[in-house]
Amino acid sequence: MKNIVKIALISSAACLALVACAKKQQPQTDPAAEGAPAAAATQDSAAAALTQAQADSLAAEQARLDAERLEAERARLEALINQIMSEDVYFDFDRSELTEKAKELLAQVGELLLKEQRFTITIEGHTDARGTEDYNFTLGAKRAMKVKEFLAAYGIENSRMESVSYGKEAPKAQGETEEAYSQNRRANFRVNIKQ
Amino acid sequence: MRICRMIATKRFLTGMFFALLVLLPVQTLASIDTIAVDVGISVFKTTPIGIVPFEESAGIDWIEERPHQILTRDANLSGRFDVVASDKFNLALFSRAKAKHYMTGKVQPTNDGKLAVECYLYVSQSKTLLLGERYTVPQKELRRAMHAFFDKVIYQLWGERGVASTRIAYVSRIDGVKQVVVSDYDGFHRTQITRDSTISMMPVWTKGNKGLVYVNFKTNRPRLYTKNFGRSEKPLFQQFDQTYSPAVNPVTGELLFSSSKDGKTDLYVGDMETGKARKFAYLKSNQTSPAWSPYATEVLFTSDRGGGPQIFVMGKDGSDLRRVTFMGRYNERASWSPEGDRIAYTSMDNGKMNIYTCALDGSDIVQLTNNAGNNEHPTWSPDGKLIAFASNRSGTYQIYIMRKDGSNVTRITQAGENTAPTWSWFYDENKPQPKEGSK
Repeated sequence: MKNIVKIALISSAACLALVACAKKQQPQTDPAAEGAPAAAATQDSAAAALTQAQADSLAAEQARLDAERLEAERARLEALINQIMSEDVYFDFDRSELTEKAKELLAQVGELLLKEQRFTITIEGHTDARGTEDYNFTLGAKRAMKVKEFLAAYGIENSRMESVSYGKEAPKAQGETEEAYSQNRRANFRVNIKQ
Repeated sequence: MRICRMIATKRFLTGMFFALLVLLPVQTLASIDTIAVDVGISVFKTTPIGIVPFEESAGIDWIEERPHQILTRDANLSGRFDVVASDKFNLALFSRAKAKHYMTGKVQPTNDGKLAVECYLYVSQSKTLLLGERYTVPQKELRRAMHAFFDKVIYQLWGERGVASTRIAYVSRIDGVKQVVVSDYDGFHRTQITRDSTISMMPVWTKGNKGLVYVNFKTNRPRLYTKNFGRSEKPLFQQFDQTYSPAVNPVTGELLFSSSKDGKTDLYVGDMETGKARKFAYLKSNQTSPAWSPYATEVLFTSDRGGGPQIFVMGKDGSDLRRVTFMGRYNERASWSPEGDRIAYTSMDNGKMNIYTCALDGSDIVQLTNNAGNNEHPTWSPDGKLIAFASNRSGTYQIYIMRKDGSNVTRITQAGENTAPTWSWFYDENKPQPKEGSK
């Protein structure tokens, strides 16, 4: 489940980068098209070709740098997104209050969100397998809300956050052990980049 | 006192139940049998009834159970009869066993490959015919024909409607994804209703058994959808963010449901045709798992106002709110008996879920399941005699039927993982089985 989300994010980030690349590459292809009326100025053609070649290589260099910068930016965003998505917040059984540890983690997420204004997040509330499906939706909704409230208090605009409950339907760990249960009583994040 | 005694008896008997299970070979569909669990206090007055194998002409290639086997299963499941089985009519046996009536019949193949079945209900002593029905059906529809006859027998002898022709909707994990399916009440004739790559769950029946309402996650959040059988799916109440816990009003067909917004869960009621909905009750607590009373005058629901979930009841206009459950810290998902006098619900203790019933004022609590895995999601048969539920007592979640006193636990699903059963309404209005001479 989480992997799918990750892949989706990575691919959407890649798309973003691709779109950006396509835009940047525009000037590079233009001179090539203008090369067509070159027959009119035969004398200067050699020199022109030379400067043209220089310009081309410059443009290519520029494009390469741009691509690299984009790649670096993409990698940085991806790392940030991964970091946010790995910051699961855990809860006690049938509780939705944030533990001290949860607050520390959320403060880190809050920092990242303050820095990256383009990020919007979906907060997913989850429960362990015990209890009914219905009540666990309610509980998951409460947990997601507590996280949202904390981040709002940290200075993140409500318009950048959405909360949703998955109840007990999307467990992270399988099994009927306290270990699995404690892994599943959580809130986690999905990150989107505002266009 | 009463509860303690129940538990003691049940614990011993569930032990026996497991011993029996271990002894049983790998179960096939034809080998599902009711495991009699006597709970000590039975609220049932069962009537002995004789069942004699049908007279059978040669040349029938049986792939389904025989007619008398289907009737025997119906009788065992019904919670109304004790079956007195006999190879042939045996007045001495029927008389000793107080079986005042018996069922039997005739079955023969027709020229076009169907079965012509004659079904009879007789008075044992006088051999007076009380009821006779004739069905001509393909063999794969024999079960439904026998269910139809059996419901006629119940009506003849009890003056009440039986549930042999009803169905159950539940959730089945298919290729790793929860899907909504429907089967006959005995687990046969399963049909898959949803075919999504995202989770479907919480199916309930719309009025007249025309279709289902259920939850799906295709928009990355729980949302209600409806689908009439054989038709396409329709999203419901899209003005709401997250919607779940559907409950169909048995009188008007309106839908009562939960919606969560910004961490707060409230009940709403709306018309599925127009899509209009309004808040059902203005309460500070979160509310979920609504259930209508049989005549839709009151509503049961769960509130977390005390911290954990507890069951409450209020009038359909939101008036006269009272708390029903007080024992234990986790009582959830109540369902109102069609007879009106009791509720069934799930309670969690030490992380284990079990099914209880109690009176509407919360008194007279009876624990129906114990010491056999988790048992949850009770749903009443429309005649109020039986409760279907999901249990993982066998290791995986499966659907079971028991009598309303917890006796006669019968497993009706065999493979995979099956949860969240909801019993249909009566099927009276629906087309009867084709009879001889009709098309």
